[in-house]
Amino acid sequence: MLKLWKIFSKGLVTENPLLILMIGLCSAVAVTSGVANAIGMGAAMTFVIVFAELVISLFRKLIPNDARIPIFIIVIAAFTTMVDLAMKAYWPDLSESLGVFIPLIVVNCIIMGRVEAFASKENPLHAAVDALGMGLGYTWVLIGIAAVREILGAGAFLGIKIMPKGFQPILFFTLPPGGFMVFALFISMNLGIKRGMDARAKARLETSKEAS
Amino acid sequence: MKKDSLVYTVVFTFVVALAFVFVLALANDLTAARVADNKAFATQSAVLKALGVDYADPDEARRLFAELTLDAGDATGPAWKATIDGQSLVVVQETGAGLWGAITIMLAARPDAGRVSGVAILAQNETPGLGGRIEEAAFLDQFRGERSDGGIDVAVGAELSGLGDPDPDNGRVDGVTGASRTSVAFGTIVNAALARVRAISGGL
Repeated sequence: MLKLWKIFSKGLVTENPLLILMIGLCSAVAVTSGVANAIGMGAAMTFVIVFAELVISLFRKLIPNDARIPIFIIVIAAFTTMVDLAMKAYWPDLSESLGVFIPLIVVNCIIMGRVEAFASKENPLHAAVDALGMGLGYTWVLIGIAAVREILGAGAFLGIKIMPKGFQPILFFTLPPGGFMVFALFISMNLGIKRGMDARAKARLETSKEAS
Repeated sequence: MKKDSLVYTVVFTFVVALAFVFVLALANDLTAARVADNKAFATQSAVLKALGVDYADPDEARRLFAELTLDAGDATGPAWKATIDGQSLVVVQETGAGLWGAITIMLAARPDAGRVSGVAILAQNETPGLGGRIEEAAFLDQFRGERSDGGIDVAVGAELSGLGDPDPDNGRVDGVTGASRTSVAFGTIVNAALARVRAISGGL
């Protein structure tokens, strides 16, 4: 159980795909101009990574080594297409505003990276838990960045105006440069949290050593 | 069979692809009707938006669309005629090149193309956050009621304050900041649509 929690939680902070591994940044900066987009993208990504890792882990012993990358791409592309079709059918507005970034999940390096580095070596349960951690780690960062950008850049949250009437929206934040800046602030914030966690773990280790 | 042999690799890849093609065909079949429905609704709501007609829900939009518009499509593409508050208007769907891909708009104007009633965007692939902001009301609302007998000029660069162009009589709207190429392309498409409005009503 503790091992599962460890696998799951590393995606949230210590090995967060966006803030520590720093992969998959392109779509992350692009879709974070609004919170609704961030939630949609995070959910789509989490769905694809969980099922891709699960399926590949299930068949990991059968997949021929030489052709593994094409096979990974077939699996990832299949799940991405399912998400794309479902969005077009049930959430056309969201599909419209996320545009090309949903089909581009196929080549998102977070999924390729986790499938290659983790799912193709570990059992299905561990793979699914890892995928869930990575997916949620991706999603919380997207929603966090999008919230800052939407509140400051448009004075709104989920499209609902929340700032007082006199508030002049700072357009800079909805534009890409603002996105990069907020992104950098999240990276440093996450590093701060990680250092704090490391220091606490070290202190705990030392006290347990002294006790023994 | 050996896992790394050529035959195994080919057969395995083929089987995986076949299995997923089957699953995807099924998924496509399940969603096709809804997707087509959404697409038809997107067209209808864009026509209503261009005409400046408000609706509360998809059903009302469908009813209003059926009541208001009369198909007048020509060889170039779909077009409709409608009468709003006694003023007859022509709506054309026009596609043209944007910066990254095609932009499809719906433009409603008086039959002589002397004044635009409204513009709505049906599809675009411009840069999200830059050119993609042509979808925002702040940009599109500038076209509402704009005089257009001499065409419409989408101003870019430092020509205007960047706060929009509120004057409906100068045939000019303010482009999107940081997206000059998209703004210029959008102006070209709007003017092509105006030419088609003139051509369609000239035939009567």
